Amino acid sequence: MSDPDAGKKTEKMKGAKKANSGDGGSDPFDEDALGKAYDTRILVRLWPYVLPYWRQVAMTLLLFLPIFVLELAPAWIVKSGIDRVVASAAAASATGTEFVVTDFLLEGRAESRPEIAKEAGPGFADWVDDQVGGFFDPPTDWSLGGWLAMLYVITTLVLGAMQYVYQVLMASTGQYAMRGLRKHVFGHIQTLQMSYFDVIPVGRLVTRATNDVENVAEMFAQGLVALITDVIKMVGYALILFALSPKLATWAFAIVPVLAVAAVIFRLKVREAFREVRVRIARINTYIQESVTGMKVVQLFSREARNMAEFDAMNADHRDAWNKSIRYDSLLFATVEVATGITMAVILGVGTGVAEVGIMYVFIDYMQRFFMPLRDLSAKYSVMQSAMAGAERIFQVLDTAPEVADLVETAAVGRPEEKGLVEFDHVWFSYGDTKGGETEGRSPDDIDWILQDVSFRVEVGEKVAFVGATGAGKTTIIKLLTRLYDVDRGCVRVDGIDVRDIPQRDLRRRIATVLQDVFLFSGTLARNIALGRADLSESDVREAAIAVEAHPFIEKLPDGYGTEVLERGANFSTGQRQILSFARALAHGAHILVLDEATSAIDTETEAAIQRGIHVLMEGKTAIAIAHRLSTIRDVDTIHVLKSGRLVESGSHTVLLGHGGHYARLHQLQSENEQGGGAAEVGSQQA
Amino acid sequence: MSAAAESIEIEAVRESPVRHALRRLSFYLRRNWRYYLLWFVAVVIYSVIFNAIPMMVGRAVDGLIDPGVPAEVVVRRCWILFGLALVGGVFRFYTRQLVFDAAREVEYEIRNDLFGHLQKQPQSFYFKWRTGELMSRCVNDLNSVRLLLGPGLLSVAQSPILFIGAFAFMSTYSVKLATLMVIPYPLFIVISRFIGARLFRRSLAAQESLASMSNLVQESIAGIGVVKAYAMEGDRAARFAEANDHLRDRQLKLVRAGAAMPAMTGLLPAAGLGMALYVGLDMIAAGTLKPGALFAFTIYARMLTFPTMMMGYSVSLLQRGASAMQRIDEVMSIEPSIADHTESVQLDDLSGEIEFRGLNFAYGDYAREPALADISLKVPAGSSLGVVGPVGSGKSTLASLIPRIYEVESGQLFIDGVDVNRLEIERLRTSIAMVPQDSFLFSMPIRSNIAYGLPEDATEAEIHLAARRAQLAGDIEDLPEGYDTLVGERGVMLSGGQRQRTALARALALDPKILILDDTLSSVDAETERRIQTELSNVFAGRTVVVVASRVNSVQGLDQIVVLDEGRIVERGRHADLLALGGLYAGLAAEQEAESKDGVGAPITPDAVPSDDVLAGEFV
Repeated sequence: MSDPDAGKKTEKMKGAKKANSGDGGSDPFDEDALGKAYDTRILVRLWPYVLPYWRQVAMTLLLFLPIFVLELAPAWIVKSGIDRVVASAAAASATGTEFVVTDFLLEGRAESRPEIAKEAGPGFADWVDDQVGGFFDPPTDWSLGGWLAMLYVITTLVLGAMQYVYQVLMASTGQYAMRGLRKHVFGHIQTLQMSYFDVIPVGRLVTRATNDVENVAEMFAQGLVALITDVIKMVGYALILFALSPKLATWAFAIVPVLAVAAVIFRLKVREAFREVRVRIARINTYIQESVTGMKVVQLFSREARNMAEFDAMNADHRDAWNKSIRYDSLLFATVEVATGITMAVILGVGTGVAEVGIMYVFIDYMQRFFMPLRDLSAKYSVMQSAMAGAERIFQVLDTAPEVADLVETAAVGRPEEKGLVEFDHVWFSYGDTKGGETEGRSPDDIDWILQDVSFRVEVGEKVAFVGATGAGKTTIIKLLTRLYDVDRGCVRVDGIDVRDIPQRDLRRRIATVLQDVFLFSGTLARNIALGRADLSESDVREAAIAVEAHPFIEKLPDGYGTEVLERGANFSTGQRQILSFARALAHGAHILVLDEATSAIDTETEAAIQRGIHVLMEGKTAIAIAHRLSTIRDVDTIHVLKSGRLVESGSHTVLLGHGGHYARLHQLQSENEQGGGAAEVGSQQA
Repeated sequence: MSAAAESIEIEAVRESPVRHALRRLSFYLRRNWRYYLLWFVAVVIYSVIFNAIPMMVGRAVDGLIDPGVPAEVVVRRCWILFGLALVGGVFRFYTRQLVFDAAREVEYEIRNDLFGHLQKQPQSFYFKWRTGELMSRCVNDLNSVRLLLGPGLLSVAQSPILFIGAFAFMSTYSVKLATLMVIPYPLFIVISRFIGARLFRRSLAAQESLASMSNLVQESIAGIGVVKAYAMEGDRAARFAEANDHLRDRQLKLVRAGAAMPAMTGLLPAAGLGMALYVGLDMIAAGTLKPGALFAFTIYARMLTFPTMMMGYSVSLLQRGASAMQRIDEVMSIEPSIADHTESVQLDDLSGEIEFRGLNFAYGDYAREPALADISLKVPAGSSLGVVGPVGSGKSTLASLIPRIYEVESGQLFIDGVDVNRLEIERLRTSIAMVPQDSFLFSMPIRSNIAYGLPEDATEAEIHLAARRAQLAGDIEDLPEGYDTLVGERGVMLSGGQRQRTALARALALDPKILILDDTLSSVDAETERRIQTELSNVFAGRTVVVVASRVNSVQGLDQIVVLDEGRIVERGRHADLLALGGLYAGLAAEQEAESKDGVGAPITPDAVPSDDVLAGEFV
């Protein structure tokens, strides 16, 4: 038994794999493919989303300089206080007389502890003191403590205010930019061809537009700018300290290389651990999502215990991976703190005789500030890495070019008159390769064609039906007609124009489709019938519902047409959903009507009602129907019989029966089924 | 004034669910008390060392300045400082690692419990709760709770201890100055209350926005076929833009409130230090304080800045975590409305008798009218029941009640004479195999899908047999990796008919007492359906069978047929009786017969019917 249906799907899978790997590199949905923490290419690509907000970015950058200067200031305020009191105390102890703080002299201090002033002289510290030192001298009616305390508090207040603005600017720029990115991602996803959605799980695409974007936003708020400014600050502190006292700075920075090596090692380890964490959390989330959607089956088959065990194992794996990353993170944190402490000991131990006490204070303060970014490194690193990985995956979706795209020239064709003419002109199609690139190199025999050289014409107002076994290519005809896929060879024409030359939006508005799986959106019932068509009035919707006899059951609902549809239409039965989809198709009033096996799950009585509605709908329209039940299509003008992708018979019901070919045999089989082969015919009770 | 009173009232109303959530959280914390105890010890030791360091710096500086102190004493003090830094680092490591590990452990436990809880929820729960909504709670909210327990708890618990230690050490220099230094910190409570409440509301709002946007995306992608067919892209994009803007606005508000916290708390140490400078400098000048104190105090102020800012940040973590925990708690507090009865009846083996006694059923708030009304019906063990009726008449509902995936009131449905609510759920469901209307498959190999209800040690032979019975074996052989082929999400890699047959195989693999087929073969083509029916007649033997069908011919051979209309049984009997009755059933049958006979000229003779083999060659 070789069911071509299976073959089709095989090809579909192969095609999907090809499509993914063909995207220039890694599989976009391989959660293992994680980005670097810093990737210029990705940042460059993010720039266009930030660009519209360049004013905020410029302001942020402008704020950085005063913030940095203000961060330097407190240490100098304290230093000048120390300098002054220490000098006075020394003077006092040296002379034994009362000292006046405001009368302090540099020379006097140097005299009192001559060994301290070895590096003194016209150094950087003196230069700074010359520039700003006078500022720290209290006005006459102020005490030194009061004056410096005031300076200190004011500086901190201004700094706090600036940092607030800075932080808000950074984070909001991120939010604005991400709004644009999200919009782009969502819009792009909608343009992708159906085959893409056949293989990519919904949950992953949702993650692209939500969590991944959130991660990138987080980078704007915490990571990116801070990472750059941190480096600038660290260089700044180092330069200043070396200028103040090269000797002391050399000692103070002695530990930095050790720290740098440790940071690099931990960074690598943390990166490895994060990679594992991400892969595992993705697995967990996919599992939850699937379990929630299929919970009914889980419960019906009493799989709860086993699924719990499976879930527990995944969950524990994830926790263990995290614990590993926590270990390295904590190590890095502790190491930085040890380094800070040791540096203080070194500064004090070595500083004696090298620098003044005030300078030592500045050293201790700046070294603490120097180490701080290192301490946060792993936190920032993880933010950056998530963001880069997220952005990379977002861009991979954005880089997936829609295979079915409007031609640039389509606009030139304009909008030809809507008539309802459909032509298939020697159409060849396989799911394996939609663009024909690979099929060209192979002989046609090697390809699992879904449609082979199919030609037919549906005149304006004609009713046509396609029959054939599963996988014979019936549904494919509709997919090609509505251009959810593109043909490999030949051409499909609607109203005399190649469908590839008609803008997709215009094409699909010409065709009203009733799909196999009826999908309802959240929102009201009325909205589900109108489906975003603003020009459909409430009465249009109602009229359509009445025509397909959906009105009676809608009326019975608590809120009638205003009833909210639950997720995926859970509050409607399959049959009701199908009737609603008829109402949709009817309300949209296209010239071409396509019915895809829509009547198969409806009971005879309802179906009769539907048939009546469809007759109304079909009036003056071109109709193409596909059904398993031959009985539902016997009234059509022409029946096309498909067999393994080839059109084998065409003609009216009577003609084809008389012909005694495939159709006649199919019909016979089905009649027999319906008469005596009931699904549950155990007792073989013939009526 | 009235607005203030109102807001207080809102607070009071809000407080209770948060408390409830935190009570649940404390349960997990208690369970991991060992972690937390060890952690607490590490925090205390660490905070002593942490605070000894600035002290030692001050002493070293005092030694430097005071000519009376010998140089080797100063050097010794520096070495002590060196040692303190090293030992402090070790404890620093543990204060972080222990609490983060504990947070991960709790996260792990909550996630497990949440998943287990979801598995217990009946279908009515999933009507109310969207998948996206639940996912957002399992992923984002749980993440927020973890941040609360990790960095949040670390800072909130550690910071006060650090402050107490710092105060104690500073007091050795001057109690007055130490007091001045720490005086501003109580302001922290005021600030966190002021900003905290706002932060809480805003983070809740932002999370809601994210969840609803996520739902919108999920739905748009799941329904992409319709979106494309009806050229709805513009409408969808407009709705998305609306949700997107909404989310951004809420997040901007959150950003503003969130940034205020660290900015304001960062001012506290500065205020303390300002006081210390104000008083301290004059004290040193007066000779009542050693100059080293200024070093020590400024280092304290600096060292406390980070914990204070972290505390400010933690308040947002705590608020966000609390609101997230509230959202998780909301789900976990929903008692499964279907659970084992406290006095469940132990039955070793079910025989499969089903009885409805005056059953009424409505889908909660979602329908004005009951889905089923006054259903009385008995299906003896081993017999078969057919359920037919128009769309929305309650056929599927009737079938779904038997495995108790919807709530049934007691005294209305009996299996083997026992109220269904008193049977152990697992016993009940393992005795039933149901093929639901929508043939949901899991993204696993097709083998695992068929073996879904089988024990883990199911043999290949069992799986292959089930596949053959469902006429699926041939399809599987043609798949690229046979039984190992992954079916994709919801089984997208398979055709509609293959999905239905896989779902059928999944049910047939079991050896159930009761078999329920809910309009199972709608996407299966005629020849395959015929072959399946032949197989089914073997499977049916010795079991209670319920067949829900839209078509009369699917049920005509069954022992008993009921016809439903608007949730009521309007006709019942065997096929022949119902035909004779001339009612709804007879009408359906006549219509259908007319359809199938129409156009068929000569009566079908056995010769005219091609054999299965011929068909397979011809059409497949």
